[in-house]
Amino acid sequence: MKRVLGLFDQRRTLLLLSFYLMLCFILMAFNDPFKLRGIRIAVLQGMSWVYALQNKFSYLGDLEKKNKILHRQVLELSLENLQMQENMLENLRLRRLLKFKEESPFTFISGTVIGYGQEQTIRSLILNIGLEDNVRKNQTVITEQGLVGKILALEPRQSITQILMDRNSLVSARLQTSREIGVVGWSGNLWLDLNYIPKEVQVEPGEVVLTSGLSRIYPRGIKIGVVAEVKENDYELFKQIKLKPVVDFNRLEEVFVIQSADTLPAEKGSD
Amino acid sequence: MNKLDIRYIVFFIIAFILQFTLVKYIEILQWKPDLLLVVLVSYALRRGPNWGMTAGFTVGLLQDVISTDLIGLSALSKTVAGFLAGILAGKFAERTEFLLTLLITGLLHDLIYFFIYTLGENFSLQSLIIFYTIPNLMYTIVIGGFLNYFVEPLATE
Repeated sequence: MKRVLGLFDQRRTLLLLSFYLMLCFILMAFNDPFKLRGIRIAVLQGMSWVYALQNKFSYLGDLEKKNKILHRQVLELSLENLQMQENMLENLRLRRLLKFKEESPFTFISGTVIGYGQEQTIRSLILNIGLEDNVRKNQTVITEQGLVGKILALEPRQSITQILMDRNSLVSARLQTSREIGVVGWSGNLWLDLNYIPKEVQVEPGEVVLTSGLSRIYPRGIKIGVVAEVKENDYELFKQIKLKPVVDFNRLEEVFVIQSADTLPAEKGSD
Repeated sequence: MNKLDIRYIVFFIIAFILQFTLVKYIEILQWKPDLLLVVLVSYALRRGPNWGMTAGFTVGLLQDVISTDLIGLSALSKTVAGFLAGILAGKFAERTEFLLTLLITGLLHDLIYFFIYTLGENFSLQSLIIFYTIPNLMYTIVIGGFLNYFVEPLATE
């Protein structure tokens, strides 16, 4: 009798396992995150009190330290500003001489990182700004260091940012010195890959990589990373270039969303 | 559902909130412990494979809903992890049971996750195993062992 019950129990376990596995595969096969948007909003709203509490504690704890850092930054920026003003005046004079069309200025929306996406690897950030703050899909997210990613999904008061360390993230990039254009994507580890740079191009470690501007999402000239390693194979047309991202994605707190008239919604998920 | 299940629901909620908020402060490079897996293994060891996989499926699905990735992927890996932990209950010596089960289930959990994750992509499963699975798992085991030492009396009392 015990043996029969044991067999029945085993069969029930296997049936239950098959049921759950089938359900998982069905969910993956008919994957449509937009249909689950309502649930996602409910969960995020439900968690918002936790974020608020966490942010308050974190803010109070860092206040003194941040104050000191900010004082130093104000001093540094004041000096830098003087130099920049000189440069701007010179730039204006040159622009007038060359009759350059004035570029549209950017405006920024400041946001705080209130959570990370619940993936195995960090690939998305949750920001405390959303539709109500005029944030729109595909707008560029940056820090003072450089490019973070782009807005992927929006809720009224929150938004999800796809960062560069996401397998679906591709950014059109330019090497600062050679001006050669390539595509930056995640390498599957702690680095980024700069692809499609021909072997003939001279690239040295330490060279800065910027957004190319050949994109409907990312504006030109935002720092992405620094070349860390350059390799070549006889049987490949392109160099294998590894970049060290300038943004520390593990320590992100404050970010800025770029808003400009030029920011158009893209048709595809990648740049 | 008994008292133990209710206690573990509370543990799951706490682990979920911590995973979502405070874990980022103890990250080393991009490595972080999976607190939900720790609680799942502990629960499955006590309640067996049926309850283990049910808890795994529920927790994994909740993670999927919040993440921007493929829906069902975490649910699948957590379901298998819960099932395996339940099956392994009583197979090891009592002192090492939790850590060994966490190691085996964690490894299978990450292998399933990253195998499906890398399908059709141009970066390798090996790279993800070396850079994420192994460090994450070691970190999870250290934190898991520490938590289990304190949580076990609360769960069993």
